[in-house]
Amino acid sequence: MFYNQPAGTTKPPLDREALRDVIDLALWAGQLLLQYGAESERIEQTIHRLGTALGCDWMDILVSPNVIAVTTISGDEFRTKIRRVIGLNVNLTIISAINRLSRRVEAGELDRFGVRKELDRISKIRSHYNRWLVVTMVGLACASFSRLFGGDAAVFAVTFFAAAVAMVVRQELSRRYFNQFLVVIVTAFVAGVLASAADLLNLSSQPETALAASVLLLVPGVALINAAEDLITGHMVTGVVRGIVGSIISLSIALGLLLAISLMGVRGL
Amino acid sequence: MNVALLLLVLEDALWSALAATGFAMLFNVPVRTLPGCAILGAVGHAARTLLMQMGMSIEAGTLAGATLVGFLGLVFARRWKTPSSVYTLSGAIPMVPGALAYRTMIGLLKLAEAAPDAAALMLADVSVSAIKTGLILGAIAVGIAAPSLLFFRQRPLA
Repeated sequence: MFYNQPAGTTKPPLDREALRDVIDLALWAGQLLLQYGAESERIEQTIHRLGTALGCDWMDILVSPNVIAVTTISGDEFRTKIRRVIGLNVNLTIISAINRLSRRVEAGELDRFGVRKELDRISKIRSHYNRWLVVTMVGLACASFSRLFGGDAAVFAVTFFAAAVAMVVRQELSRRYFNQFLVVIVTAFVAGVLASAADLLNLSSQPETALAASVLLLVPGVALINAAEDLITGHMVTGVVRGIVGSIISLSIALGLLLAISLMGVRGL
Repeated sequence: MNVALLLLVLEDALWSALAATGFAMLFNVPVRTLPGCAILGAVGHAARTLLMQMGMSIEAGTLAGATLVGFLGLVFARRWKTPSSVYTLSGAIPMVPGALAYRTMIGLLKLAEAAPDAAALMLADVSVSAIKTGLILGAIAVGIAAPSLLFFRQRPLA
């Protein structure tokens, strides 16, 4: 018996084959969650729920910033496996789908084979939103921030244009697998150069608002919120690492923006 | 409540909703959750603006706004069967101190070439923005985690 096994468990023990399958599925689900921006507490709970619902007595889970390790336990048998995970963009549809999957498994609607099919489908989910719709909406979002910062109509227009172009630049560079910090520096530079128009063409009395708002599309909001949430829920390692990644991205935004400000000779922030 | 304040808060809500929607699309939220994300973005940020107009600090206002987002996110999550973080993450985005975060970094970079007598003042400035960034982020996280911290506590998995 294992010390952490719930007392009086009545589950039939799984054989090695089944354990191997369960660990593979649980890791796959965890990998998708970590890749697409879930907080550590959710990753742990989802893996645990999935594994125990598929017949294991207990799961031991280690979520670190770029690795997930899982041990499945059933009766006297156990298996351990780790998986390397590389963080990608935030994709809340995938996180939502995995959440629903784990609840369906818990309700007994899906077995191992059904879960594999579902995970295969979920991992192929792409963006619901057309690329140019995203570009337009992100431009509008940054322009809205310029209003929240107190900018006027001219600043709104300049910010929209600068942020939308910057978003295209970001998409193109990311698609070519440039280093993520380099992508941020270049994108912030492009946004800064374009937003300088508000100052150079004397379009507004507060042109620096356009500079501040047009790079907001790069702010690592989810990373920073998840960092704070991980620290609160006791996932110190992932929390600290996410915080540092968020800080380096903020530093990259500052670098690109400073470069643009000094090149264009406009008033800074 | 006077009319000018009401108008200010309503305009604030409109722009925040737009900002939250744009980022929600960037995060690829399920299409049916978009209205919920927009509403939470508007409610959270507008509540913070209202409280700040009434004299509250930005940190305390953020905590209140984010707590509202956290609980409303839970209501929306039950209503539309989606994890609450879809709503709370998108809804919190307008409150994220993005500009403050990179202003801190710009200040740090400028310190490198500052004259010695100006450096002390600039360092104080940088520290204040760094502390504010941290506090506001913490307030957002505590706020949106409030429902699970207060009411939906779970036995740790160990």
